[in-house]
Amino acid sequence: MTDQDVTGLPPLRADLVIEYPFIRTTGPVVGAFLTGLREAVLVGIRRADGTVMVPPVEYDPVTSEPLSEVVEVSSTGTIVSWTWVDPPRPGSPWDTPHGLALVLLDGADTPLLHGVLVDSPDQVATGLRVEAVWKSERVGHITDLVGFAPVARDTLEGS
Amino acid sequence: MGGERTAVLGVGQTHYRSTRGDVSMAGLVREAAMRALADAGLGWSDIDAVVIGKAPDFFEGLMMPELYLADALGCVGKPILRVHTAGSVGGSTALVATSLIQGRIHRRVLTLGFEKQSESNATWALSLPQPFSVSINAGAGGYFSPIMRQYMVRSGAPELVGCMVAFKDRQHALSNPYAHLRQHDLTFDQVVEAPMLWDPIRFSETCPSSDGACAMVLGDEAAGDASPRPVAWVHGTAMRSEANNFPGRDEVNPQASRDCAADVFRQAGISDPRREIDVVEMYVPFSWFEPIWLESLGFAERDRGWRMVEEGATRLDGGDLPVNCSGGVLSSNPIGASGMIRFAEASLQVRGLAGDHQVDGARMALGHAYGGGAQYFAMWVVGADKP
Repeated sequence: MTDQDVTGLPPLRADLVIEYPFIRTTGPVVGAFLTGLREAVLVGIRRADGTVMVPPVEYDPVTSEPLSEVVEVSSTGTIVSWTWVDPPRPGSPWDTPHGLALVLLDGADTPLLHGVLVDSPDQVATGLRVEAVWKSERVGHITDLVGFAPVARDTLEGS
Repeated sequence: MGGERTAVLGVGQTHYRSTRGDVSMAGLVREAAMRALADAGLGWSDIDAVVIGKAPDFFEGLMMPELYLADALGCVGKPILRVHTAGSVGGSTALVATSLIQGRIHRRVLTLGFEKQSESNATWALSLPQPFSVSINAGAGGYFSPIMRQYMVRSGAPELVGCMVAFKDRQHALSNPYAHLRQHDLTFDQVVEAPMLWDPIRFSETCPSSDGACAMVLGDEAAGDASPRPVAWVHGTAMRSEANNFPGRDEVNPQASRDCAADVFRQAGISDPRREIDVVEMYVPFSWFEPIWLESLGFAERDRGWRMVEEGATRLDGGDLPVNCSGGVLSSNPIGASGMIRFAEASLQVRGLAGDHQVDGARMALGHAYGGGAQYFAMWVVGADKP
């Protein structure tokens, strides 16, 4: 290992920043999901066996058959599992300590990973009922969904 | 060439367009894959593995396509591999897939290349600044133009040979329903009068930016024998690479190109390519690369390739060695697929399934791709008969 270049001086470092605003063509299925977000509605896709995947995918993950039956699911669901993040990591969408949870929305058969907006880990639990928190100005992007918050207290009984 | 005999059982292409705004990348590759399976008379359960290629990740910003596209390509429970060799990737992807058959690892393999240029900017991606070299922001055209001029000077080629290649390929494209550029009213004078982009290359002598995908189903000898439609048999496969800058490098006729051609023709038992090959699909993104590669591949003597163009030898109508009957890269350029399109079109010719751009009686065809700074080469020879 050397810390000098041929001139006897320390080698310089060169900054290299590469950026480009790529476009993503969403196609009909992911496009429907994004359109739903704009309307504050969550949608999934129904598979041949009747199960519903959220977010929707274009091709069945088991049979590879094309999927096209977009179905609305509830904005309320149940936490399947969770973790706590304190302090928030650099680049996190949230600037305060928060949970990350797999949320099984009512009407869905696959859980969605998203933030849980509470103040302490004491307020998160497997089985907790949560509901979507939306931005007021929505554009049809995944960030339209801010995260999930516990639903009204009375639904927590027995959790 | 050793190992298991390998057959092209099916070919599938999307229509090549500047923008396919109706489909995601998954939808795009799916379209080509379904057509290849239909051509082969097979379904997903018949496929043992998938080999996918695309251009460098910066070209459309899709990292790890093998993860995102696995379900669209029926890969559940199967291996998927990604191949990466710049612009030649479509060719080398097909050859990696072929090697899995030749090595008797798999019996039927789906191979596919794609690009969605509408989601990015290839010239930007080809011009990424580096701290140790000047960024000319000219993409491939600016890089290759001095090399094409070097060819013109040393061969003494007349100035308009490039325009003749471009006009020929655009005319060929009119016979290919999948081609991107289908300029029915184009005249030779319009090609000549087009604006100069990178002297000596006019706008009319460059490839378009295309969205599209191309897929092939390859099979072993038993699969080829059982196929309901004519198949193409692989007679030779070769890949070579070299650095893009070293003392004594011949940029016009790279050693890697000559070695690759010699290897693929030796495997196919071909000693006089001009006589023994019936049709060629070669990678010509800028017009002058047709005469350049005609020489490098051994179809013409050094400095004589341009005469074949001038004499019309490479034309579909009347030429003795038609080149790029599909319209070539000059008419459709979804970069990550462009090499595979060459290989697929060569296969369609010897299967007799090339439609309106079929060369009558084609029995042996060369598919050719190059990439990087003319550093990566991939070629195959396919025939109507078993090797």
